[in-house]
Amino acid sequence: MITVKVGGDMVKKGLDPSFLLDLKELAERDRVVIVHGGGDIVTEIAEKLGKPQVFVKSPSGITSRYTDRETVEIYTMVMSGMINSKLVAELRRVGLNAVGLSGIDGALIRARRKKRIIIVDERGRRRIIDGGFTGRIVEVNVHLLELLIEGGYIPVVSPIAIGEENEFLNVDSDRAAANVAAQLKAEKIIFLTDVEGLMLEGRLVKKLDLSEAESLLGKVGAGMDKKLLASVEAIKGGVREALITSGFIDKPLTKAIKHRVGTVITADQP
Amino acid sequence: MKARCPECDGEIEVYDDVINGEIVTCPECGMDFEVVIEEKGEIKLVPAEVEGEDWGE
Repeated sequence: MITVKVGGDMVKKGLDPSFLLDLKELAERDRVVIVHGGGDIVTEIAEKLGKPQVFVKSPSGITSRYTDRETVEIYTMVMSGMINSKLVAELRRVGLNAVGLSGIDGALIRARRKKRIIIVDERGRRRIIDGGFTGRIVEVNVHLLELLIEGGYIPVVSPIAIGEENEFLNVDSDRAAANVAAQLKAEKIIFLTDVEGLMLEGRLVKKLDLSEAESLLGKVGAGMDKKLLASVEAIKGGVREALITSGFIDKPLTKAIKHRVGTVITADQP
Repeated sequence: MKARCPECDGEIEVYDDVINGEIVTCPECGMDFEVVIEEKGEIKLVPAEVEGEDWGE
């Protein structure tokens, strides 16, 4: 079992034929689940709809969308209605039996809503505000995914969770992918992004064990930090390997699996 | 202005223009407190309880 996280940049540019062929070959020899991102597209569409997005900064410097009620509705509409459907259509065009789901469908991703969050406000002071509609993932409906996979489908999952009061929640796609991989007991998770892998001092880090990956948390760029954190969560959840690589190269999945490209994160060696 | 730490009774400096929800840290025990401004303008400090920085896409 392999979980593939398709980054927002890949979605935006349209999936490359080389990636689609690679995915098709992978799906012939292994079971695959796809989780996608697309936060930038949500921001663009929200602005076109007259709802400019508000971003807030956490004390450790992570900038995130502030997801109020209207925003979570636009988020769900774009992630599920547009991005997910587009991806499913692209996969089906090359003969992949893709089925699109959000975390709402069959309560695929359950999360607990964050009631309050700490931000650093415009005066540079830390302040607690209402958490809006974001959440921490607590459960993945593995049974539903297994039913689909056994039925010959490739599930394509958008990062929307369902809350305790059946509300829509914005969840981070990297961490959604990590949760899906861990709970499905996937062997590998592959994060396809727009950079070669984890870069340190201008050089690609080819291999990390869990302790090394954890020690780097908070020390790399914000986008990569989320991938690193998601990799750590996946490995701790039992996934054997987390691979971070560019989705814009020829055969990114095959090359990542063979450790020819990207960053490989594994459990600590005994 | 000054406030007393509910945990260790240390002295905590609070900005004059403080607003509800702001977080102050006790310099003595290091605990974070949320500022709650009550009806009469009095300041109350309550332990800051929030969840991790996991705010979605």
